[in-house]
Amino acid sequence: MRVTAKAVAVAASVLLVTGCSANANTNANSTANSGATTITAAYSEGGTTLNPTEANDVTSDTFVLAAYDQLVTYATEEVDGQQVANTSEIVPMIASSWEVSADDTEYTFTLRDDIEFQSGNPLTSADVVGSFQLIADSSSASFLYGMAGISTVTAVDEHTVTITLNQANHLFLQILPMYSFSIMDTTLVEENGGAEWLATNTAGSGPFTVDSWDPSTEAVLSRNDAYWGEEPALETVNIKFITEASNRVQLLSKGEVQLALEIPAKDVASLEDTEGVVIDSRPSNKILYFAMNNAIAPFDNELVRQAITHAIPYDKLLTDVMQGQASPMTSSVASSTPGFTADGNTADYDLDKAKDLLAEAGYPDGFTFDFTLGSGFQDWNDDAVLIQAELAKVGVTMNITNMARAQFLEAIATGQVQSYISRWTSFVNDPGYHLGLLLTSDGTSNYANYNNADVDALWTEASTEPDQETRNELYGEAQTIINEESPWAYLYEYNIVVGLQEGTEGYTSYPDGIVRYSQLSVN
Amino acid sequence: MPRTRSRTNAPAGTRSTTVGFGRLLLRNKLGMIGLAVIMFWTLGSIFIGVLSPYGASETAAGALLAPPSLDHLFGTDNFGRDLLTRVFAGGQLSLWTGLIAVGISMAIGVPLGGIAGYAGGALGSVIMRVMDVLLAFPSLVLAMAVAAALGPGTSSAMIAVGIVGIPEFARITYGQTISLKQREFVEAGRALGLTSATILTRHIVPNALAPIVVRATLGMGYAILTAAALSFIGLGAQPPTAEWGVMISDGRGYIISGEWWLTFFPGLAIATSILGFNLLGDALRDVLDPRLRTTA
Repeated sequence: MRVTAKAVAVAASVLLVTGCSANANTNANSTANSGATTITAAYSEGGTTLNPTEANDVTSDTFVLAAYDQLVTYATEEVDGQQVANTSEIVPMIASSWEVSADDTEYTFTLRDDIEFQSGNPLTSADVVGSFQLIADSSSASFLYGMAGISTVTAVDEHTVTITLNQANHLFLQILPMYSFSIMDTTLVEENGGAEWLATNTAGSGPFTVDSWDPSTEAVLSRNDAYWGEEPALETVNIKFITEASNRVQLLSKGEVQLALEIPAKDVASLEDTEGVVIDSRPSNKILYFAMNNAIAPFDNELVRQAITHAIPYDKLLTDVMQGQASPMTSSVASSTPGFTADGNTADYDLDKAKDLLAEAGYPDGFTFDFTLGSGFQDWNDDAVLIQAELAKVGVTMNITNMARAQFLEAIATGQVQSYISRWTSFVNDPGYHLGLLLTSDGTSNYANYNNADVDALWTEASTEPDQETRNELYGEAQTIINEESPWAYLYEYNIVVGLQEGTEGYTSYPDGIVRYSQLSVN
Repeated sequence: MPRTRSRTNAPAGTRSTTVGFGRLLLRNKLGMIGLAVIMFWTLGSIFIGVLSPYGASETAAGALLAPPSLDHLFGTDNFGRDLLTRVFAGGQLSLWTGLIAVGISMAIGVPLGGIAGYAGGALGSVIMRVMDVLLAFPSLVLAMAVAAALGPGTSSAMIAVGIVGIPEFARITYGQTISLKQREFVEAGRALGLTSATILTRHIVPNALAPIVVRATLGMGYAILTAAALSFIGLGAQPPTAEWGVMISDGRGYIISGEWWLTFFPGLAIATSILGFNLLGDALRDVLDPRLRTTA
């Protein structure tokens, strides 16, 4: 009896073991399978909203572009074996075609008739009209709406929409592909009480649904299996929010994530040597500038500002801080922007010249000023320390005050901060867009209070000029004035650095630095 | 026996007892090690300006991110600044912060505790409940709140850490006062018609000093740590000031890439200086607290 009992027990345990291992195998197989269509990405910030008309940071914009479609989008092309967006070429998305009136003020879009929102509602011209109304009424995207010069949006029939402009505007078609101009399921939005609901819910027709989103930990995107366009290769996208840059680097090099953003320049070289990791580093139009508040003494004096531009160790910033992951910035717009010119820019590292200019300005012994440092980016901190050390050599004392990122953004938006470093990416790679926001006297991001009537006039004239060459000449003139008056010191143009696991294919670089997950696949 | 001693001790700190304390302290090996460590950091940070060929904020004093070598014993940071100079210069700030913060805690906490203990009743309850409220906050969170409200900077860090330490001193003084005010020499003082203020300042506080001194010594280490934590998150010292917490914060991105010295030396400085104050504090308690005095 005892023997039998033992045998039974052994047999049972064998069964159990095989049972277990069989299960384990299936589990392992299924993870391996889903691993092929799942990607985990590491982002530095957790985003602030899902509302297309209020989104303003890389993470929020990523959600919007995953969950929504736009009327038109940017073309992509292959340059030197890498996929890049060609923002000057606009291609169909929700609109299958469009016609422009002879005077360039009336655009008639024909919408595809096979698009359903994720809710199941069909996408019609009423949604386009309603979405443009939501954009016009928003607090953030309304500025772009004005910049696009839109006058009326009318539904001609169920699948035709006519948009009229106040006057011919070359930026109009350039702005339409932006996440801010997403087409929303207005029926669903109305059912849920309006735009506020959009902050934490999506109402799009896009390739992914946002399944969960916790800004402090992670978000999960799932493929929209009923997507009208090309089916995305990825089933699931996990986006983890990891503030600490070195942790993102570590996760990427250990293969825990397949994609990581905001890779610190100092870690690029070692990651390139890490097996299985591919670093995608490309010049971009993301600039970093040292803003001097033109409304606060002594920076209201042009000579003082020019003196500062001669006391910045530009080469050191590029080599020591950015380790080559940046290139010189020589005008207020990025060098890759159409119409760029460095005319009038005399800034170079020359402390004697800085001293002379300071003496000429009436500050032979220098002065003291306050500098506000937004935290979160190590290179800003390092730049500030290096600039501080150089300024000290010409008698200028720069008092640095650290501020958490959210506070910093609030503080500079008041226009009361004496000086700061900030970065800027023009999602529309056009000098009109860029200068209009940053350096015209009415610009919503002109926090350094630069005010020059000639620049304003040139910008206004250029924005309605239909001929591109003439337009770029006007923008060039504006840049020359700005370069001479130096409201900012130009620090550098960033490379956009994305870390990828080998086998992650399809990454396409856009000026906005946002990853379109519908383009990605995993081998 | 205890009664006689307390009577001879009444005008606290007679010559013979001071000598006794000193000898006992000298015999406490761990305490002496602690004192030596504190002296090392104190003297080092006082004389670093004279001894070091480099300036604390001097960039490009050597190669960038150079590992420890004979030229730079602690190596250099990402600006080529000499880390040894910066660590000792940071010691200056950290020790000052500790002293001033503990000074603030004592200057406010001791009178509050003394008044609460001596007066008792409603006033005492109110004071001590307020202290309880302060204690209810996690100390670092409270320090962060105070420092954020005052704006980032070294002086606000000192004040923040000082405020956080107040309730500890108030409670110790309160407890001491409660027990001391029952003693005969206090009663005698009252019988002689001394004012409450005189009794409190001349008779109670001097006799309550021993645990306060112990707490102050231990508090130094704690204050240094909290100030470094505030600086780590950007609420304390601002660039280019050398400060241990800031140095660790700036160097933490380099741990994985292999430049360990950026965080190791400031970390070692924090660890050893706190250890020093704790060892000395423990030794002082052993020596000053009669209940623990077994070797006398």
